[in-house]
Amino acid sequence: MPFKEKLARSLFFLAAVLSAAVTLAVLGFMIALSLPVLKKAALWDILSAPWSPDHGQFGILAMIVGTLCIALFSLCISFPLSLGCALFIEVTRPGGPGKVLKKIVQLMTAIPTVIYGFVGVFLLVPIVREIFVYGSGMSILSASLMLGLLISPTMILFFSQSFARVPQSDLNAVDALGGNTVQKLWYVMLPHAWRGILTGIILSFGRAMGDTLIALMISGNSIALPSSVLDSARTLTAHIALIIAADFDSIEFKILFICGITLYGMTSCGILLARGLDRKPR
Amino acid sequence: MMEKEIKIQTKHLWFYYHGRTILENIQVEIEKNVITSLIGPSGQGKSTFLMTLNRLWENIDGARAKGSVDINFGNGFEDIYTVPVSRLRRQVGMVFQVPNPLPMSIFKNVAFPLRLMGEKDQIRIAQKVRDALERTFLWGEVKDRLSEDARTLSGGQQQRLCMARALILEPQVLLLDEPTSSLDETSGRVIEDLLLDLKRTCTIVLVSHYMDQVKRIADNGLVLTDRQLKQH
Repeated sequence: MPFKEKLARSLFFLAAVLSAAVTLAVLGFMIALSLPVLKKAALWDILSAPWSPDHGQFGILAMIVGTLCIALFSLCISFPLSLGCALFIEVTRPGGPGKVLKKIVQLMTAIPTVIYGFVGVFLLVPIVREIFVYGSGMSILSASLMLGLLISPTMILFFSQSFARVPQSDLNAVDALGGNTVQKLWYVMLPHAWRGILTGIILSFGRAMGDTLIALMISGNSIALPSSVLDSARTLTAHIALIIAADFDSIEFKILFICGITLYGMTSCGILLARGLDRKPR
Repeated sequence: MMEKEIKIQTKHLWFYYHGRTILENIQVEIEKNVITSLIGPSGQGKSTFLMTLNRLWENIDGARAKGSVDINFGNGFEDIYTVPVSRLRRQVGMVFQVPNPLPMSIFKNVAFPLRLMGEKDQIRIAQKVRDALERTFLWGEVKDRLSEDARTLSGGQQQRLCMARALILEPQVLLLDEPTSSLDETSGRVIEDLLLDLKRTCTIVLVSHYMDQVKRIADNGLVLTDRQLKQH
């Protein structure tokens, strides 16, 4: 093997090992730093108790529920929107209009999250407040709507990529037999693309859970367990950001490592599930 | 002597792809229940011409056609642009160069057009599938493995399966885009025999690169050169 190729292979291998090591090191670091807390309190107690430092309670249940609620609702909003857009791009109008929409969607992926946050605070929150006449408008609903919009471009591109991979010969077969667009979608495209669609959903769910700014700016950050979508809630990421900004050595601060591990576990489960689906023979 | 009966006629047919002229003022008549071959150099638009007969070109981004294509489905000539596209394509079947079985069982592949039409009667479907497979000389080879994935069949069998799928709707016209080019000689000959049998009930337009094949089975010929189509 020529020296240059050997060198290139070694560099690629090193890069792969390094990135895997960093990911594992982050997990190891968080576990190590959370050990002092875990020696004093059982993990289940932390995961299931409320957050009330004044009463000596440092549970993160409300944040886990807030994270899951906002991520799930945002997924419910973005999924039909993204599927519709992907079908428009790849199936119904693959020419000019579809191409233009795809460019716009690609552009949307480059917009910083904080812009979405601003739009949410100054445009969406007042609308939600006026429509529902409930609280400040900073709620699970507002955060989910904006987060749904934020994760849609990723989902749209993932879905349209899955549809684009459907063999043209199969589409031609349905067209030549007089099948319409809905039949083409139902009998050929979805059976081919469902794994890609599911993978897109899971990865977008992970993205929604991991987002900090939208939740921090729009969800209201209440530490109470929410009882409706109009209640405000706090996510794990927003909790980490809020505590870390004001503290560095208290029990509240040390609990953040448990928050981190929980978030790491939740997103890793999603990613492993997506990988598993992708690996199954098509 | 019997008078020729015309099945398809094109008038001033032009076809453009991203502004480039592919077919220029095509005026041809295609006889009923014969095999009409379409020959010409590669890349001249033979497949495109076939697609103007069942409006399949409409799915191609940047494609545009003008002029008229009229087909006599039994009640005089009808402009194909006035016929609903799904009805047109059920009457004008098409088989492609590379066999394209769908990722489903042999039975489901052949029954697929009936499913698209909303046919629910399972006994009728089973009978029609059998008839279509018998017409393409495939029944004997696959009758014991109808539930197997159609993609496990050989290339020649797959192509005959695609023909069975097109024939199950009993089309009046069958468009064949080099149906034997990806097959070995033996499989190609089976398809040729099949076409000779089919022309009793179908008008066949066959794009072919093989002159010996054209001589063996075609009744009429069209040649496409320099964007123009001429009777051979």
